[in-house]
Amino acid sequence: MSISGEENTAFEFEGRWQDFIPIGITNALLTLVTLGFYRFWATTRERRYLWSKTRFIDDRLEWTGTGLELFIGFLIALVVFFVPIIALQFLIQALALQGQGLLAGLVGLGFYFVILYLTGLAIFRGLRYRLSRTSWHGIHGGSDDPGFRYGLSYFWKTIAGTLALGLLIPWAMTNLWSERWNRMSFGPHMFESGPEWQKLMKRYVLCYLAPIGGLILAAIAGFGSIGEASISGMAFAGVILFASFYIVLPLLALAYYAAFFREMIGTLSLSTLDFQFNARTKAWFMLFLGNLGLWLLALVPALIIITALGLTDGFANIQPGQNPMLENPVNFLLILIVIVIPLMLVGPFVRYRNWSFFIRHLEAGGEINLDALTQSPTRDLKQGEGLLDAFDMGAI
Amino acid sequence: MTTRKIWHFDGNSAVRRTGEIVVDGESFHLNIDGILSERYNFADLVFRSERGNTRVYGLTGRRGWQIGFDAEVDPHVEVRLPKVEKFGRWIDRAGLIPAAIISVGLSAAALFVIVKSPDYLAPLVPLSWEKQLGDAMVGDFGGRFCNGPGGQEALDALVKRIEPAGTQLRVRIANINMVNAVALPGGTVIIFRGLLQEAKSPDELAGVIGHEIGHVRNRDVMQSLLRQAGLSLLLGGISGDAGGYANTLVSATYSREAEAKADAFSIDLMKRANVSPKDTAGFFARLAEGEKMLGKAAAALGYLSSHPLSQSREAVFRKSANPKAAYTASITPQQWRALIESCANDTDVKQDDGLFF
Repeated sequence: MSISGEENTAFEFEGRWQDFIPIGITNALLTLVTLGFYRFWATTRERRYLWSKTRFIDDRLEWTGTGLELFIGFLIALVVFFVPIIALQFLIQALALQGQGLLAGLVGLGFYFVILYLTGLAIFRGLRYRLSRTSWHGIHGGSDDPGFRYGLSYFWKTIAGTLALGLLIPWAMTNLWSERWNRMSFGPHMFESGPEWQKLMKRYVLCYLAPIGGLILAAIAGFGSIGEASISGMAFAGVILFASFYIVLPLLALAYYAAFFREMIGTLSLSTLDFQFNARTKAWFMLFLGNLGLWLLALVPALIIITALGLTDGFANIQPGQNPMLENPVNFLLILIVIVIPLMLVGPFVRYRNWSFFIRHLEAGGEINLDALTQSPTRDLKQGEGLLDAFDMGAI
Repeated sequence: MTTRKIWHFDGNSAVRRTGEIVVDGESFHLNIDGILSERYNFADLVFRSERGNTRVYGLTGRRGWQIGFDAEVDPHVEVRLPKVEKFGRWIDRAGLIPAAIISVGLSAAALFVIVKSPDYLAPLVPLSWEKQLGDAMVGDFGGRFCNGPGGQEALDALVKRIEPAGTQLRVRIANINMVNAVALPGGTVIIFRGLLQEAKSPDELAGVIGHEIGHVRNRDVMQSLLRQAGLSLLLGGISGDAGGYANTLVSATYSREAEAKADAFSIDLMKRANVSPKDTAGFFARLAEGEKMLGKAAAALGYLSSHPLSQSREAVFRKSANPKAAYTASITPQQWRALIESCANDTDVKQDDGLFF
């Protein structure tokens, strides 16, 4: 089966946000009333919808994960990682209070290293889990690598990339991307990834220089005007600084990110399939702008209602002996309803937009031999993405 | 028109097959191109997804195995298929609204138990455990306990005076420039240097110490620790931040009742010891002035950040004074001087740098 002809694009997202609304609302409601415990099942429902509305060539994807396995993954992460991490934090605090500043610092550094390693491990295992629960034509993906080596790699490459004044960050990001994708498979085929980090350096250096350039320009504007009109000169310098840090830098970072993704996916292949990702900076910008709009849409009316009704008045004296929540139960509930519920609804729609964006810009070319696409020999995973979920990160 | 037509992936290859489902009691076969498959049990089918008219089922223990119906299913087959899952099995069984109501009840009950149970559990924790915990947590504040000549002796005398029968209690002065006093796990009460400098008389200090002793004797510290641990465990269920904030808000400090009880405890101690509560009332009056000046921002500072508003407390202490009582000074002026100079006269004590509260 080759890709071309009837369909213009190999991947297509056929979801409708109107269909997604009931899922988002009921998920938010159930998550709220269960103090958050429903969120594993909520995630599963969300993904089941998104995957089932994603067509690849002639058939849709199927999400086969369950809420229960995500919950079990979370419990394991809780016991294996969170309890020791909390104990370690406790130890650092105790050491600092006992005047063992150096020791506290060392333990703190160790703590940071452990978190860095676990972050790498979590990214790898999250990707592995998602591939293993993604089914197309009854075939799924995965990996038999537990990701411990990737964790180490992530640990030292991140440190190395940052230590070189941050200049090796593109190298680290690129390298880690291909390292994890080269360990993943779908059906009987291994993914192959061979991106070149050198291609990203031009945009990265621009990002890198933007704040420095801004500082220099601001300094010229500021000092150049000493003597006369120095206030307007300083104001001008301030504007330049603000613009370079809050407008130019984020835009350049977005441009880098867009190039990064195009290079990463553009050099990814699976057997005879080659992938492409065609989102340019402008598309990414629109995505972020839209997501920002969604957040504002939820937050601004909430703030207006709260201010108009004076709901926070009873909370001004947040101090002991007075329990603000118990003493203003009605206001507390109203604030909860006005703020938390819209915010809980934004999350799912941001993820919906991100998924839709991702699929819309994802392309594949080449051929698939369905007879040769046999079941993945990878072991079945017993638990969900506990760690990744815990760190709240995306897998791709 | 209902159908028995299915499409099928066997989970071994990606080739899509079409055929028909053949019911045989509680089991079934798939008839694909005239060839009858092995026998499967309806009980092993699991619901996968539903989109439009299409419904997909998997098979327990066979990854990738799928059958799908693209139209309304024949009623004979339909009754044997597993139920369509929407929210998850338990919630589907109860219905969305009942499940939500039950969850609200369970959540409220869980919160109630966690907030209330430490009242009963804390007294059951042996003091020796609590003491070890306290030592592990704060030790000697990194050498910041003041040991100027006669200072600690004067403080001990003051404590002995207001609670003559008290045991397992340590009151220390810490060389930290904050107007505050805290009770720590294990019966340790810490008076910060700032509070000592702010106090105008030993009787003022006596009331403040009495209050902290009240927290110690009521096991408020352990209660608070248990409550915090319980809440972080429960609210850990909520992803990250929301749980964290709520947690801090609920458990940051003692309840209003606990604070009032600690004040009552302090007043009672002073009454028995024949020490005037008026000076302590004066101390709160001065703090109340400060609160007025600083406004709501005061809540973030020192003593005010961990104790109730001073104005009402001033009234409580002032009213407790008996005009007929012949109060005596809690400690001598010499002892008082040694006490307030305890940090200044201690050449070894560490300065309060690098400790943030």
